[in-house]
Amino acid sequence: MSCNEFNRMAGAYLDGELPEEERRRFEEHLASCDACRTELAELKRLTEDLNMMRFKEPGDEELQRYWAGVYNRLERGIGWILLSAGAILTLCYGAFKIVEEMIRDPAISVILKVGVCALIAGLVVLFVSLLRERLVVRKVDRYSREVER
Amino acid sequence: MSENETALLERCRAGDRDAFGFVVKKYAGRASGAACLLLGCPHEALDASQEAFVRAWRNIKRFNTSSPFYPWYSAILRNVCRSRLRRRARRRTVALTDGHGDSSSDSDPVLLAERNERRDALWRGVMKLSDPFREIILMKHFHEMSYKGIAAALGIPIGTVMSRLHSARRALRETLAGESS
Ligand SMILES: [Zn+2]
Repeated sequence: MSCNEFNRMAGAYLDGELPEEERRRFEEHLASCDACRTELAELKRLTEDLNMMRFKEPGDEELQRYWAGVYNRLERGIGWILLSAGAILTLCYGAFKIVEEMIRDPAISVILKVGVCALIAGLVVLFVSLLRERLVVRKVDRYSREVER
Repeated sequence: MSENETALLERCRAGDRDAFGFVVKKYAGRASGAACLLLGCPHEALDASQEAFVRAWRNIKRFNTSSPFYPWYSAILRNVCRSRLRRRARRRTVALTDGHGDSSSDSDPVLLAERNERRDALWRGVMKLSDPFREIILMKHFHEMSYKGIAAALGIPIGTVMSRLHSARRALRETLAGESS
């Protein structure tokens, strides 16, 4: 084994991830090469330091605040759904009423009637397309990568 | 995983938010620390880890309660952080001076347990690494995952795990050497 090869394997050796056969060759080189022994000792120190690192456990108050942050967002999510559903229903109802009145009113010109109908139809198409895009993005972004794992 | 947690997660699946509260509190420290490492700065760490919990809750029906919660959550968190990094990179091409990552407080190891000078320096060094290096250091040294586990989670071969970790630790040593000289 060359010093170069030794170097590339040193991390895996310290992590206990070298297969038996490679570990044997690694240790043979280790016994015969001073430079690599020094090198390994240094890397070992770093690896052990890294292994000792831990994340701090937050205090009770911090945890309470953290959970409150998550909880509020859960609630807000439901709030948004209700709000959007309500808004869509109200708008649809309003639009329907306006069209109904206009069509009945002989004083309004046909061109204006067609115009308003096209406007509303356009809004509906755009809305549906946006909604579909969002749902597709969500599916790709969320389900395929995160949840299947 | 404890039987206790399985029971908690079953309750979560049934829609019990208080049970989810216990789960969130149990992993909040680890989650914000992980987000901080993944994002490379503490600014959005809290927010990103909370967003990942919200996503976890919305998908809880898809979670298999006989497997441990944290690895599943961790995959969600990784995606949240990745899309934030992408967004940040896009913004950065528009406005080059944005201040993020420059100030020294950005790398303050406030999320670290049992701090000392050595560990603080090590944390600062890790925070200076590139995104994939910080990610793999997190998985290996903070989450104590095996090479096999990392390979599966990242969808890369074990050989790549080995060489990426090697490069990450070498880069870290160079950073630390540059710091002390
Ligand atoms: Zn050698």
